[in-house]
Amino acid sequence: MKSKKIFFLLLVFIMSSQLLAPNLRLRAQDSEKLVSLSKQIIEAKTNAELEQLFAELKNLYFADNKYNELTEFLKSLSSKKKALEPFADYYIALSRYHQLNYLEEKQSWDEYFSHVNTYRDEITDFARATTDAVEPQEKLYIYAKLLLWQFHRDQLDAFHETALTDLMNSVLEYARASADPGPIKEAADKIFSYGEKGKAREIYKVYIDKLISSDIKDEDLAKTAAGFYQEANPELAEIIYDIYIPRVIISSKEKALPVLASIAKDFSYKDTGLKDEAYAESIFKRMEDLAGKEAFDEGLIHLRAFNLEKMKEYIKAKDYYEELTRRFPQGKYSGRAYYKAGIIYAYILRDIKTGRQYFKELTRQEALSDYGILSLYQLGLLSQWQEDYVKAGEYYNRIIGQAKDGEFPETRQLTLERLEEIEQHRPIEYNLKAFLAILSDEEYASFDGTKIDLISSAYLPKAGQAINIVSKTHNAENGCLQVELQYLWSGDLGQTRPSPQSASFNTTYTQPGTKVINLVVVSPAGIIGRYFDIVDVD
Amino acid sequence: MGAAPKPKAYIKNLKKSRYQLIVDKKPYIVKGVCYNPIPIGQNHEYDWWSDPNKPWIKDGKLMQEMGVNTIRVYQTGQNPQDVRKVIRDLYELYAIRTVIGHWLGFWEYPCPFYANKDFQGRIKKEVLEMVNLYKDEPGVLLWILGNENNYSCYGQVNPWPFEGMENETDPQKINLARLKVYYSFVNDIAKEIHKIDPQHPVALGNGELRGLEVAKEAAPDIDLVACIIYRGKTFGNLFNSLKAIFDKPVLLSEFGADSFDAYLNKEDQNMQAFFLESQWRQIYENLAGNKKGAGNCLGGITFEWLDEWWKHNENDPESWKVHDTGSNWSNGSYYFDNQAKDNKNMNEEWFGIVALGEESEGGLNKRIPRKGYYVIREFWNKK
Repeated sequence: MKSKKIFFLLLVFIMSSQLLAPNLRLRAQDSEKLVSLSKQIIEAKTNAELEQLFAELKNLYFADNKYNELTEFLKSLSSKKKALEPFADYYIALSRYHQLNYLEEKQSWDEYFSHVNTYRDEITDFARATTDAVEPQEKLYIYAKLLLWQFHRDQLDAFHETALTDLMNSVLEYARASADPGPIKEAADKIFSYGEKGKAREIYKVYIDKLISSDIKDEDLAKTAAGFYQEANPELAEIIYDIYIPRVIISSKEKALPVLASIAKDFSYKDTGLKDEAYAESIFKRMEDLAGKEAFDEGLIHLRAFNLEKMKEYIKAKDYYEELTRRFPQGKYSGRAYYKAGIIYAYILRDIKTGRQYFKELTRQEALSDYGILSLYQLGLLSQWQEDYVKAGEYYNRIIGQAKDGEFPETRQLTLERLEEIEQHRPIEYNLKAFLAILSDEEYASFDGTKIDLISSAYLPKAGQAINIVSKTHNAENGCLQVELQYLWSGDLGQTRPSPQSASFNTTYTQPGTKVINLVVVSPAGIIGRYFDIVDVD
Repeated sequence: MGAAPKPKAYIKNLKKSRYQLIVDKKPYIVKGVCYNPIPIGQNHEYDWWSDPNKPWIKDGKLMQEMGVNTIRVYQTGQNPQDVRKVIRDLYELYAIRTVIGHWLGFWEYPCPFYANKDFQGRIKKEVLEMVNLYKDEPGVLLWILGNENNYSCYGQVNPWPFEGMENETDPQKINLARLKVYYSFVNDIAKEIHKIDPQHPVALGNGELRGLEVAKEAAPDIDLVACIIYRGKTFGNLFNSLKAIFDKPVLLSEFGADSFDAYLNKEDQNMQAFFLESQWRQIYENLAGNKKGAGNCLGGITFEWLDEWWKHNENDPESWKVHDTGSNWSNGSYYFDNQAKDNKNMNEEWFGIVALGEESEGGLNKRIPRKGYYVIREFWNKK
């Protein structure tokens, strides 16, 4: 009888709103739905029912951005039935939060600034009223805390850090008391979406612990991790793998190794798709700790070296390329491994002698592979740079002898340019000379990427695929004044010759193999630094 | 014999290196905007001072409603009568005072010859003529000499030749020598201004705090540092650092944020408003009246009042008619859009707290206040 009376009063409220304020009108079908929803809300027996009904009510009003109307309706609702108050309060806060966002999007600044203080107060007051009224194990408790944090976080005001701490504590409290892990993940996802990765990870762990405490099997745990990987949520996938891996290792070392290898492959560098090179390397390290270097086959050693190379950990990468040359001297990746070891020795460690040894290994055979040709060019270039023009000419002419019928077109072209310089007694072209010159300058000995960085849009392009190579220079403070920088590009630039004004360029490569792109950046005050990048064309 | 009357505007030294600007015998917090009302389709050569539609009247009203009490101009126009008219209108109609700057030849082709005595003499003469022309205008607040010119001493922007240093290879020594030359030149001008105009302070327009350790010795006669600073949300330790390096009051004469997200490639007024509110909060925290702060800040001048549509490509007149979304420079402190291509996230044409509309109102482009306008208005209202 009582609920019928309340419903009647609400009906009067809905009807009067429709009559008195035409701008508040809902569409006819929505009005019918509102009447129906109101009836169901009044008659609802459980929180689960109310959760669903209030969510529908919110969607009804939010669809037309009728935030004031929803707020008024909710206030009327809660004044008529006390038990509905926590839900009404939460949705009033939520409505005001969305209303302010809506006004911001519309840039209705006069309206926004006329009401902002009132609405902000309503957001905090009603959200707090919700948390005061419900138990910590209720979903509404977490949602209200999450809303409070979002509200402060959006403004980056003085309270956003304490609101986050409060939310974290609330999640822990909720996790202890509630069986439903859903809101925990919702909170973690939201925090993650704001870029608070560390805090999100903590909550994801709580969520995982909740899953584990439900006696989840190892294979189900692995499936859950793989599922999050498929959903492009590497954070969560990694946390679950970090729980899953020790379980697998304890059960069987033999079983663990292929599992670890598979996870490492998933997270290793690739041009497209999910990757986390640092996590992949941490898994490789676990494999090595578990079973030594022998646990790695040729493909896995190469993958580890390549992944480190893409992390710009060139010296560590070099160690694994050298290991490949030792353990698999005739293997699938040996040419690439010798060549890259030589490149890293010569151009990063500035150990030209050792670099040359690696290049020479690839030139011993009569018929040369792709990497043999590339190595001959490097040997010729280093000789030319060291002014041994006879030796340089020998290396270059051997390339020309091998590169007949249009083979190795890019290396052939570079070789012809170098040979012309020697024949005409000209110095090496300016940009390449600048790159080589600062190799011997102690001032530019460090190669840590703190001044210049290079990024390619793809590191494993197909021949003919367009790629974009971008440099980033970290220069001294010059306010808003533009410093005129010169970009001296050299090396394997493919089908283009970027100008000294270009901080980036687009190119394609026709010849498969490893491409080395060199850059020296010069400001009016002098050289800023050098860098290079490596691209492997299939 | 009574004490000499106090100047119209002066710096009051309080205890513990705290400073206050006094204007007409009252403390004055600079609540300013950089002002350069270039219409859509024109560039920096446009002489807005003589615009018959008087943009400063429309803008002055909006500024007054917001709470602005000061504008900053980087250099005066060509016709002194026009300049006087603008300064007077703003002061008499809206009680808005004018900070007048001089570029000190920074943008002259091929470069500013700061080590050349003839160049120095010519610039000095220009500045003193400017001071003589406007020093008696009641709306004038103070003078600013230069604007980030100190960066040229490091050889990266607008580098200038320096005879006698050709054989020096140590870049630090070269920089130091250049800084001494430049700051001594500014000091010389400041001393001369004080002689002809004892009524207004003279500021050194300096990019960040770079070089001020040299200015301490070479430019003791300047009254305050007018700092041009783009550090995003926070000025960091700027106020206390300045105390340690060169104990002078500081006016943040150019700071702000653009309203274009170069990463998402769309306008973001929230981003601009967020930075501006934070920046103004810190300015107030470091005023002399706030005991918790450094107490050496005199106020701020936000860059800038209006968008300027010519800035992205100043050599292409067609682009002056377009609100370009390209960015020319990078600043990691503005972290919302620093992931933009090449990290270029600072959109020069979007710094206005008031946007320009293409429709005409009274012969002027429509003025559309951005969120930043209202946020600063609210902030000042609460103070």
